[in-house]
Amino acid sequence: MLRIPCPCCGERDEAEFRYGGEVPGSIPQTDVGDEAWADYLFARDNPKGLVHERWCHSHGCGQWFHVVRDTVTHRIHAVYGVGEPRPVVDCSNESQADGGR
Amino acid sequence: MADTNAHRHGLEPFLASVESAAEARVRVGVVSDRGFLTLRLDPRNGAATAAARILGQPLPPASSAYTEVVHRVYWLGPDEWLIETGANRAAELISELSEALAGRPAAVNDVSGGHVSLRVSGVDARTVLAKGCTLDMHPREFGPGQCARTSLAKAVVVLSVADDAPTYSVIVGRSSSDYLCRWLAHAARPHGVRFSILQDT
Repeated sequence: MLRIPCPCCGERDEAEFRYGGEVPGSIPQTDVGDEAWADYLFARDNPKGLVHERWCHSHGCGQWFHVVRDTVTHRIHAVYGVGEPRPVVDCSNESQADGGR
Repeated sequence: MADTNAHRHGLEPFLASVESAAEARVRVGVVSDRGFLTLRLDPRNGAATAAARILGQPLPPASSAYTEVVHRVYWLGPDEWLIETGANRAAELISELSEALAGRPAAVNDVSGGHVSLRVSGVDARTVLAKGCTLDMHPREFGPGQCARTSLAKAVVVLSVADDAPTYSVIVGRSSSDYLCRWLAHAARPHGVRFSILQDT
């Protein structure tokens, strides 16, 4: 069970949150074609290591936010709000694969 | 109010069947005749001040806090509050708030029929609630004036500390209230539990 630090409410149990999946890349232009759109909508990196993902504190403040989590160690390196820049995460002692873009 | 059903807690069948312990270390009171409003607004644009003027008390700006002056105003999220008041005050308060917030990006809604207010008190109240809640409920971490929307057993509740007796206030969705009361009766049975109906407090 993860303990997730909600930016509004502090650390809460994973069961209070809804998982929103890995953060996709930026929205493609409308004229790029079906393949690029399908890639944006459905394909995810599923990395072994750091991943930027969305969570919603659905049983608490109801806010969506981002979590930087290591899929190997389950360690949460950072949380940041919607629209905030991606934080620089130092994971020198953790698994080396970086799924963040 | 014409439709009194909206403020009936609907727990009468449960209360009629539940056994009361001779020596109760936990007491659960179902508070009748409560009115609830949800208030949503952007606190940055002056709407919070306008709402506070009508309510006669500030909106709690900090997370996990409530204010109690005329009404009880619980912080639910950065743009969301739950107002608990007397059932007979809800309609009046809605029209006053709607008028004060007209033209602003804000919403105020009567959700009285969707909520049930419980008071859980007694020497073992904290022990029993902690069985179903993952918050740190030590008084140092969660004391009077604090509130949290969280899970209790499998229900979503607004949990708050009314005083350090301790008395906890539990606001639960009406459709989960029967389940939660049965869970409380079961969880508190080893401690001795007594259920009652409290008049508007």
